[in-house]
Amino acid sequence: MSSPPSASASSSPPPCPKKMITLRSSDGATFEIEETAALQSKTLENMIHENCASTLIPVPNITGEVLARVVEFCSKHAEAGVDDESLGAWDEEFVAVDHTTLFDYIRAANFLEIPTLLDLGCQTVADMIKGKTPDEIKKTFKITTACTPEEEEEVRGENQWAFE
Amino acid sequence: MASLESLTEDLLVRIYKGLASDGDRKSWRLVCRDFHRIDALTRSSLRVLRVEFLRSLLANYPRLDTLDLSVCPRIDDGAVAVLLTSRGSPWAFPRAASSSLSPPGRDPLAWTRGLRKLVLSRSTGLGHHGLEQVIRACAYLESVDVSHCCGFGDREAAALSCGARLREVKMDKCLGVTDVGLAKIAVGCGRLEKVSLKWCMEIGDLGVDLLCNKCVDLKFLDLSYLKVTNDSLRSIGSLPKLEVLALVGCSLIDDTGLQFLGGGCPLLRVIDMSRCNGISSCGLISVAKGHEDLVQLNASYSLTECSSILLRCFKDLKNLNAIKIDGARVSDSAFKALSNCTSLVEIGLGKCIGATNLGLMRLVSGCVNLRVLDLTCCHSITDAAIFAISDSCRNLTCLKLESCNMITEKSLYYLGSFCLLLEELDLTDCGGINDTGLEYLSNCLELSCLKLALCPTISDKGLGHIASKCRKICEIDLYRCNGIGDDALAALSSGCKKLRRLNLSYCSDVTDRGMEYLGQLEELWDLEMRSLFNVTGVGLMALAAGCKRLADLDMKYCENVDDSGFWALAYYARNLRQINLSHCNISNMGLCMVMSNLTRLQEAKLVHLNKVTVEGFELALRTCWVRIKKVKLLAALRFKLSSDVRETLHSRGCKIRWD
Repeated sequence: MSSPPSASASSSPPPCPKKMITLRSSDGATFEIEETAALQSKTLENMIHENCASTLIPVPNITGEVLARVVEFCSKHAEAGVDDESLGAWDEEFVAVDHTTLFDYIRAANFLEIPTLLDLGCQTVADMIKGKTPDEIKKTFKITTACTPEEEEEVRGENQWAFE
Repeated sequence: MASLESLTEDLLVRIYKGLASDGDRKSWRLVCRDFHRIDALTRSSLRVLRVEFLRSLLANYPRLDTLDLSVCPRIDDGAVAVLLTSRGSPWAFPRAASSSLSPPGRDPLAWTRGLRKLVLSRSTGLGHHGLEQVIRACAYLESVDVSHCCGFGDREAAALSCGARLREVKMDKCLGVTDVGLAKIAVGCGRLEKVSLKWCMEIGDLGVDLLCNKCVDLKFLDLSYLKVTNDSLRSIGSLPKLEVLALVGCSLIDDTGLQFLGGGCPLLRVIDMSRCNGISSCGLISVAKGHEDLVQLNASYSLTECSSILLRCFKDLKNLNAIKIDGARVSDSAFKALSNCTSLVEIGLGKCIGATNLGLMRLVSGCVNLRVLDLTCCHSITDAAIFAISDSCRNLTCLKLESCNMITEKSLYYLGSFCLLLEELDLTDCGGINDTGLEYLSNCLELSCLKLALCPTISDKGLGHIASKCRKICEIDLYRCNGIGDDALAALSSGCKKLRRLNLSYCSDVTDRGMEYLGQLEELWDLEMRSLFNVTGVGLMALAAGCKRLADLDMKYCENVDDSGFWALAYYARNLRQINLSHCNISNMGLCMVMSNLTRLQEAKLVHLNKVTVEGFELALRTCWVRIKKVKLLAALRFKLSSDVRETLHSRGCKIRWD
């Protein structure tokens, strides 16, 4: 007679299939993202709640390369059991990219309404500006438009004498 | 397209808001037109330095909610009238033409609708008429600060009462305000939540009673130094939402009054009853028993003795964060009782008789979350106590050890090993400290404020250790440290770039070379350098040319500085607000240049200027009487100065002190 199966021998219930959402970038590439990770984006969250998310969601302003990284970001931030310190270190590495890519992240985060990525991106840029003189800022960020010398003189005067 | 300009405006605004420091925001403004516009559209708070810019600034910054005019000279009824006219008046303020960078057609009075907080502290030239105009114009104003306008009285209080939406009023040191004025405010501003009346000594129980009856939303009330009695406490007890109460120096209240408080104010969290001679442990017990959510209790210099019943009461206060019992006699069992309050973060035991090593060891064995500890004048403590404190309280950020003369370099070794979050350390008059100790201390990399006054045993070497590692230092006090010379200043200038406040008084080894090093400290804002005999005009010139932000300078007794130094000061030190030139050898011409050129100068001490004649003083005072607020002169001048000068100064709200 076969022994009755003991409680410990019963296997754990099979994992529920995670609901995936498919996004399509501006250049036609598709990416899958877990629903829990997609909730990081308010735009996608609204779509999920209105049940529009079952089909492919086009994301027209964002290229495949950037979208892939954004998906990675959301997945990482939706992971359970990651402590603040290692998440912070991961974030720092995430934004250690060239300026073009960083601005793309910011634009993507703005379009998809991902507050964590938006704050991270904008604060990173702000940190890059900290301590720099106006000329250094212009050079670092390749800003071409400038004030006329008279305007600059006026603003400099205000900076020094008008207010704190 | 890697340009920052490619981002949309709202994203740029977000980035701009990530810039915390003022300097960065100013650099941002200078980058390009778009950035300047973003700054103009986003900036919400301005502290104006010069009245000539005021009108154009108000026109260009439409989102201002806070305006601080406390350091702006010449704020008077006339200035207010000009600000509130809808047409520009270029003849009054020549720079008032709106900036070429701002779009035309803006309503010049839009700022009045956006303003929520107005700071007019020390605006002594303003009268009740101008004040009323500005309060009425800014209909949505919620907070106004007129503290230290010592001439303000009931008419000005009536002007303030026109602000029906006011929630916060600060009237510290408005000496003329009486119960009548306070009554007007109480009736006119029913929504008040925060009221500060420190030093308004004409106010009494009647005014306080009316205030408590009419302004039931009060959360914060400061009646320090007022001659209020227990009756006021009865009225205050009825306030249902009061959270913070300050009664410093209210010598007419006693335990009976505190019983009223014990039974009322259910939401009370912070109470400051320091320097109240009439209260005792009994009264404090009734307050503690009635308020289990008490967070801060300050009874410094009010108690002669901390009874054990009182200390046992504290155990029931689960949220107690801070307690100050400076000046009281404490026993070892008292320390044991306090050690049960593990939530304590701040303890004040200055001048406490009976503070011993054993007691402190008991205290810190329980209160391991301590961050601030004041042991000023606890003469009997030694290195053993500091070891216990550093070992138990690893989160210590502020430690005051003034006059603890048995402390040696060993204590600094313990602090440098265990308390790495230390930010503030006061070692004034600790004769046992030496250079080796400072070397140990330099491991505390977060150190920002260090007081070493009256420590003759430290020298340039010790300070060099601190300067090389502690980069966050903002404030150093080296008053009467005879061992300090130019080399220490060299070390500070290269290592402590953030230094803002420095006291070098009586460090007579400092010479012009040291001053040159100081000139490299761009953030230096407050410098006291009394009696530096070896500094001449050359040194002062180097200092003035380099430290562009210098606002406060005390050079009393620097007798070897000649006019070349003062001319340089007059030319370079444009941000100077306060100066002490007493006993200096400045000439008539030098004084005139200093007082007239420094358009931000508001306080000057000019006693015993032996080379300046009466005519010299007259001329100098005439050049600055539109903006000077406080001046200290030799008493003998009182009868020699023309009445014209004295009366004009008085009418502009300037306070003259005769020495």
